[in-house]
Amino acid sequence: MLLAAPRFALPETVTEALAALAERPDAVVVAGGTEVMPDLLWRNRTAAGFVSLRRVAGLRGVSSVDGELVVGAGTPVAALTAVPDAGLRSAASSLGTPLVRTEATIGGNVVSALPYRNLLPALLASGATLELTSAAGTRTVPFDGFVTAPGRTGLAEGELLTAVRLPAHTGFADYTKVGRRNAQFVATVSAAIVSRDGAARLAFGNAAPTPLRSDDVDAAATALLDGRADAGDLRAAVAAAVDPPDDPIASAGYRRHALGVLAVRLVTRAAVDGGLGS
Amino acid sequence: MSDEVRFSLTVDGTSHEVTARWSESLLTVLRDRLGVRGPKTGCAHGRCGACAVRADLGDGDPHVLCACLVPAATAAGGTVETIASIGGPDGELSDVQEAFLAEGAVQCGICTAGFVTAATELLESNPEPTRTEIEEALYGNLCRCTGYGRIVAAVETAARTRRGEAR
Ligand SMILES: Cc1cc2nc3c(=O)[nH]c(=O)nc-3n(C[C@H](O)[C@H](O)[C@H](O)COP(=O)(O)OP(=O)(O)OC[C@H]3O[C@@H](n4cnc5c(N)ncnc54)[C@H](O)[C@@H]3O)c2cc1C
Ligand code: FES
Ligand code: FES
Repeated sequence: MLLAAPRFALPETVTEALAALAERPDAVVVAGGTEVMPDLLWRNRTAAGFVSLRRVAGLRGVSSVDGELVVGAGTPVAALTAVPDAGLRSAASSLGTPLVRTEATIGGNVVSALPYRNLLPALLASGATLELTSAAGTRTVPFDGFVTAPGRTGLAEGELLTAVRLPAHTGFADYTKVGRRNAQFVATVSAAIVSRDGAARLAFGNAAPTPLRSDDVDAAATALLDGRADAGDLRAAVAAAVDPPDDPIASAGYRRHALGVLAVRLVTRAAVDGGLGS
Repeated sequence: MSDEVRFSLTVDGTSHEVTARWSESLLTVLRDRLGVRGPKTGCAHGRCGACAVRADLGDGDPHVLCACLVPAATAAGGTVETIASIGGPDGELSDVQEAFLAEGAVQCGICTAGFVTAATELLESNPEPTRTEIEEALYGNLCRCTGYGRIVAAVETAARTRRGEAR
């Protein structure tokens, strides 16, 4: 442990971090701090201390293990702008600003669990799994279903997200978002695609309280990719599957429409850039 | 229970023993506790880049970050270089600072230390940036006065001067 105070701990290993959390049950975990610090400033959250993951070197880095891309939860988003997974790369490249991306981590993005966060649709489309570690050991869960409500996840008390695993893809993957302006914007809605062997899999952000995908949408997207259906069919499938929020940023109707547009845009890119369509 | 954390921090070559609240940002420690006023408080939540410093916080290679987003105590034992480390010890300006002056890229000045910090970092890693690369590298820095054109021109000028080309 590099530093231990009553309300602050700077562990160097996951084991030390778990012990520090157990000793400070009211403390929050802080990785990059890019969500937590503004939240404290604007009093969106209360906390009685920090357990920082900044110096836990074992949580940082990207490696290839058994055909999977394993990304440590403390890996900065800046490092994700160069990973082999094109969907994650694209979602990372449009997150925040260069000065935010050096601090923001993949783990903080996933655990914040807000419906407009960049990396979530990319992880859902690619079929990612999560490694969760507690004093009792490590369990692996699918990312699909991990977010249970905006800001809420299946992470148990005293548990840390330690890694994100993505299947290696040979096909086409991408991410896109729209917002209210072109600079430094959060997504009004967003979408990600993975397409391989002629089948498309889509996932959406801010299309429902939690990241959303649907077999009906994927069937329509795959049919559009093959030329068996047209863009209108995919837009209709998306409109039927989503349940977007209605808030001061945008109406549910606007979001439903925009999600259909993004879905068609991504499938078109997959057909053209991926060379997989008709 | 004590809210305080004690740690050491080296800023512009001077080492300090800091006592701060556990939740305090690196920016308020620099400005309010250590009197280091190069980094500015613009938005205090990561949007404007006025607080940008170059830091080695024991979490990978040294890099430029927003001091307002970093919990200060997580930098324990680390090293911070502010705008004061970019110029010379007696106030000589760096080539990037000279270019900002020459191109009229400074008006009120609150954004300038952050822009110069980000631009200096860019030129270290990419001596021949295109205009698009300059705009991308400075995307996290906001300026309310200049309209950005003079700032981009200043970075282009600094890059040319550094490569030994005529202006
Ligand atoms: C100016 C600015 C612009 C931004 N733009 C975007 C954007 O365009 N898109 C976007 O998606 N986000 C954006 N963000 C939000 C934020 O930067 C990202 O969500 C980032 O990935 C959060 O990571 P972090 O490490 O900083 O999280 P932190 O603030 O450190 O933590 C966030 C949450 O996750 C928890 N946590 C973190 N790591 C772990 C772990 N390993 N195990 C368990 N819990 C953990 C923390 O307790 C906290 O609840 C922006 C932020 C700023 C300041
Ligand atoms: S003061 Fe830190 S980014 Fe604005
Ligand atoms: S010169 Fe005034 S904000 Fe940039």
